[in-house]
Amino acid sequence: MKNRIKVLRAERDMTQEQLAELVGVTRNTIISIEKDKYCPSLKLGYRIARIFGVGIDNVFTYEEDKDGPSAESDE
Amino acid sequence: MIAMKRITYLAYSLLVACMVAAMTGWSMAAGNFLVPVIAIPLGIFVVYACRAQVSEVIGDERENRIRSKAALRTLEVITIGGAIAAIILYSYVVSVPLAPVITGKLVINDDGTQSMTIAEYKAGSMPGPENLVRSTTIKNLNAMNDTEAITYCTYVREGFRENETKGLAGTVIGCGLAVLLATFGAFYFYYNRKY
Repeated sequence: MKNRIKVLRAERDMTQEQLAELVGVTRNTIISIEKDKYCPSLKLGYRIARIFGVGIDNVFTYEEDKDGPSAESDE
Repeated sequence: MIAMKRITYLAYSLLVACMVAAMTGWSMAAGNFLVPVIAIPLGIFVVYACRAQVSEVIGDERENRIRSKAALRTLEVITIGGAIAAIILYSYVVSVPLAPVITGKLVINDDGTQSMTIAEYKAGSMPGPENLVRSTTIKNLNAMNDTEAITYCTYVREGFRENETKGLAGTVIGCGLAVLLATFGAFYFYYNRKY
């Protein structure tokens, strides 16, 4: 899962801390999401999109793994 | 109301936990059972009161997912490790090679009395002077005095004490694992039905 959170934040001059506070998560979570290390829940995804005032598909882009969609894991 | 940072809350929680543990340990050793009854609920209250003052987010979905995964992995590791440890430790109780070799040599004395020399050798070794751990002689087996009888019983008992201790540890670990698995199973079925 790819995302444009960093870009959207930069456009709005928003820090990770501010975004984390607005969506009710820790800054570490925002960092992990931005680095594509953590895949957020649908609920959190929608909350982030709402903060930026865009649709969820403008924030997150699903990219199928080379091994196929069933191989995706959050390990 | 004073806003508290997450790290401060964690530091206070650790401090309170240490204080409660120290007070409980000291009072139990001193035979005072009233202190833990007061200290433990008070400690829990203080930690919850501190938690209410934290202005930052303490836990979120990522944290929860990490914790649940960690708990699952911990359970897996403890179950496998504990099962192996329990089997190894309990095997000491029934193990012949790991038990000390205790021999008794009966001698009929000139006056017709029987004396016995009991010797303990290293576990898994052949009886011989090089493997001797200790030995004792009961001069008249048919007329053991109290001291000799106690010595004899203690001797045999001491020989197996280490193995019995390990066996007890194995039993405790095994029972602990059973409780852990039963608790986890109960929660698993509960949440499986709920969500």
